[in-house]
Amino acid sequence: MSKAEESADVAASVAEQPFIGQRLPRKEDRRFVIGKGRFTDDISVPGMLHAAFVRSPHAHARIRSIDTEAALKLPGVVAVITGRELAEFTSPFVCQQEGAAPMEMDALPVDKARFAGDPVACVVAVDRYVAEDGVDLVEVDWDALPPVLDMHHASDPGVPLVDEKIPSNLHTRETHRYGDIDGAFARADRVVKAEFRSQRLTHVPIETRSVVATWDEGREELTYYGAAQTAHILRTTLADRLGLSENQVRVVSPDVGGGFGLKLPLFREEFTVAAMAMRLKRPIKWVEDRLENLTASNHARDDAVSVEVAVLNDGTVLGVRANLWADFGAYAFYPPSYIINVIGWLLLGAYKIDNYEYTVNVAITNKCPAGTLRAPMAIVTWASDGMMHRVAEELGLDPFELRRKNMLSLDDQPYQSAPGYPYEALTLREGFDETLAKFDIDAFRREQADAAEKGRLIGVGIASVVEPTTYGSAWYKASGDDGSGHEAATVKLEPTGAINVTAGIVGTGQGYETSLAQVVADALGSSPANVDVRLGDTYIAPYGMGSRGSRGAAAGHGVAYLAAMDLREKVLGIGAHLLQRPAESLKIVNDEVVTRSDVGVSVPVREIARIAYNDPTSLPDGMLPGLEAHRTYDPPFMTFSNATHLCQVEVDAETGGVTIVKYRVHEDAGTLINPMIVDGQVHGGVSMGIGQVLLEETRYDEQGMNVSATLADYLMPTMDTVPMIEVEHLETPNPNTPQGIKGMAEGPVQGAVASVALAVQDAVARSGGRLEQLPFTPSRLLGVLRASRSG
Amino acid sequence: MYGFEYHKPSSLDEAAKLLADNEEASLIAGGHTLLPTMKQRLAAPSAIVDLGGIADLKGIREEGGNIVVGAITTHDAVAGSDVVQAKIPAMARLAGGIGDPQVRNRGTIGGSIANNDPAADYPAGLVGLGAIVRTNKREIPADDFFVALFETALEEGEIVKEVSFPVPEKAGYAKFHNPASRYAIVGVFVSRGPQGVRVAVTGAGPCVFRVKEMEDALSGNWSADALKGITVPEDELNADLHASAEYRAHLVGVMARRAVQAATA
Repeated sequence: MSKAEESADVAASVAEQPFIGQRLPRKEDRRFVIGKGRFTDDISVPGMLHAAFVRSPHAHARIRSIDTEAALKLPGVVAVITGRELAEFTSPFVCQQEGAAPMEMDALPVDKARFAGDPVACVVAVDRYVAEDGVDLVEVDWDALPPVLDMHHASDPGVPLVDEKIPSNLHTRETHRYGDIDGAFARADRVVKAEFRSQRLTHVPIETRSVVATWDEGREELTYYGAAQTAHILRTTLADRLGLSENQVRVVSPDVGGGFGLKLPLFREEFTVAAMAMRLKRPIKWVEDRLENLTASNHARDDAVSVEVAVLNDGTVLGVRANLWADFGAYAFYPPSYIINVIGWLLLGAYKIDNYEYTVNVAITNKCPAGTLRAPMAIVTWASDGMMHRVAEELGLDPFELRRKNMLSLDDQPYQSAPGYPYEALTLREGFDETLAKFDIDAFRREQADAAEKGRLIGVGIASVVEPTTYGSAWYKASGDDGSGHEAATVKLEPTGAINVTAGIVGTGQGYETSLAQVVADALGSSPANVDVRLGDTYIAPYGMGSRGSRGAAAGHGVAYLAAMDLREKVLGIGAHLLQRPAESLKIVNDEVVTRSDVGVSVPVREIARIAYNDPTSLPDGMLPGLEAHRTYDPPFMTFSNATHLCQVEVDAETGGVTIVKYRVHEDAGTLINPMIVDGQVHGGVSMGIGQVLLEETRYDEQGMNVSATLADYLMPTMDTVPMIEVEHLETPNPNTPQGIKGMAEGPVQGAVASVALAVQDAVARSGGRLEQLPFTPSRLLGVLRASRSG
Repeated sequence: MYGFEYHKPSSLDEAAKLLADNEEASLIAGGHTLLPTMKQRLAAPSAIVDLGGIADLKGIREEGGNIVVGAITTHDAVAGSDVVQAKIPAMARLAGGIGDPQVRNRGTIGGSIANNDPAADYPAGLVGLGAIVRTNKREIPADDFFVALFETALEEGEIVKEVSFPVPEKAGYAKFHNPASRYAIVGVFVSRGPQGVRVAVTGAGPCVFRVKEMEDALSGNWSADALKGITVPEDELNADLHASAEYRAHLVGVMARRAVQAATA
């Protein structure tokens, strides 16, 4: 069977399933709308203490000494602990990166603070108020050092080391080459250069980082309540760094108010709280405030992309050479080259380009450490589509024609990108064509010219998104990073026929309790109402790799579906025995095992469950009692989704303000489990992308102080910035995953960054403006417009 | 926040006495500035005198051809007032554009002007219309009321009672706001009426100010075109993350023209 036939076959089988593909209202929303969600801060344990942190007022400063005496004398303060004391009974986190210096991070810094907001001591008290008063009484004797704030000059002579255990602030410099890059540039008629610079951002979940840690002195075990996108990995890390066995630690991730990639690592504040709960044998809570969240959680996106494109005069792209920079901040929660490398291998986007070279440079600086923020590679689509527009501009060709000419279509696939990634079942050129056909670009160009006559600036941007979704364990092996991409699930049919499901993925608002119920219900011929899903508790859930990237659908739901199918086989086996018919002739419909042909011959699943648990001697010979299935699943090396985004804007020529007047998304995430939830992912992702292009920016001043530390200065997109977003779906199944699921969640951010940026660029292009630095704030845009007018 | 005494007097005299008796007392109306400041321990009044119980301070009335707004009238009440909408629609729009619904339902005109935040909207409205501020002691023309950054002509123990607005022939307000707070990065109120032609700018400088050159130009020719080419010096303007002084100076011209257009429309 060909791949295309396999896809069609999957599509046909999916169509028979009653719940996969339904816009089912989210089961979990009931408790949220009645105000009965249970978030970490809702958890209260008798005798619970509260923590607050002493933070560095300097970007870079040696700690001469810390005097905790006055704080300890304050009534209500129970303990004050410094990094030096914590280091006596905890292990540092060591971040390994192949071919580069490992980076160590203590529970709290011992000798030196590396950014403004770096936590250096923890005060534990009877309530948060007293704890904060205690913080004010801790006296740190600082020896301020010059801060390292410019990634491009971080390794200049005379610049002090941020991390004195590594040889250079330029932590990583490595080059990756594919094809014949020198030949491509030698053959080129022309070399076109372009720059794309993203600002520093942060995650801003509504629920900030939070933890409640309890130590059970009797059982000698730690329970850690807190948002954990990867609960099991967090458990392993906690046990390791606290010197506990892994069966002495339980991680419970309750309801979570947004993760966005922030709530992945074990943060130092959280680790300190866990260590102190153990030491004091008292429960401790810490809930981050918004100031801490904006200045000291994780930042992201501080990336710069410079490209040189070797082209022929007819618009054929022969090769691309890219230089990539990332400001990684002060500590390594992740291998420093990890994110910028993703940008590297994705940078060719939707285009067929065989010869490619990219160099990554990662600097360690005196800023808040970088982390993964939903679509860490958000800049790539702007860069890949944007460089094609620059090429078209220089060659005097139509940009959309040029993009089309170089763009991948279904006919080209399976395709292997220059860096070795398999593209399959992606409708890039198909989606692009459909978007263009619906929009009527020629009519828009006439409207644009008319508007320009009246001094109005309007523009359109179209983005072609390639979104990597599910990383298999083969990817981890090939990338040299520790870890796996497999996932695990357990499905149980209980004696009454009720179904319980758990898996290693951890929800942070995605609606998993609904979508997992949908796939399991279809596999077992039941209904989502009969399926309960519990995630995030390491006592209940099997060891999985959690929720990161966009792996939830293909890995998490894929494995739950496969586990449920295993269980289905057992149910049908029992049914076959009871009905005296071959198992192949049976199916499960509405919680009853029925024959495919004879109407009226059936046995309720509930009866089968009763027998499996309470009357096992009635089971077929040799069959074991109970109805449980556990299994793991390792997805392919990498799966991808794709989308086309169209954004139309108007730029106010007098103020530089941008209004988005139209936004369309043509999404192809393969088989959709719940299209309503996917629409929500699109809406949320597009909103984040709009924020990145028009509003959000973390700024440091020349002393390294964060000057965007409130939500009045760190500007989030709100409903008057985000337009109506029209979403259309094409469902081209992935031939290599269960049910043809591809997954998605980050592509909408990539698409919005690109389409909004390109639309604004299109609006100002007529005046000669060139935009290379996000965000396009009104004052920056006006500056570009005025400079190009006077130039 | 530190502990404090709380008083809720029912008359202006009683409020004034409480203020006189407690050296470190602070008045509170909507509390939008005072409470966050107290929470951050940047202010620690010994007593809070809540004006919310003084019925005389609330409401909007017509008096001798003027519109009089009580000090503790909320922004929402001004925005939704039939009489304000009919007589000074620009003022209704100004009030309706302050902050968000939560702010507009707590924040008051008296609190806003007594605080004199450089980015607040009301100072532009008061100066732009030539309003009179009435206190428990005297009447103060708006031109004299707003003195400097967070500083007004109010003396020790003086409480804003109400604001009297003359009804203009034409008035308009345009602002370029901070997307988060809705404070004015630059807001310009223009009017023509019993107090002459007025152009008042908020958000741009440390305190609301008038632009005489624009007023002169509009006196001769009430049109947006009349303002073309008139600039304000950027030397003393505010600069922050969102707007440089140069950008603010530019926006003063843009917003002034848009305010005139809004007024003529």
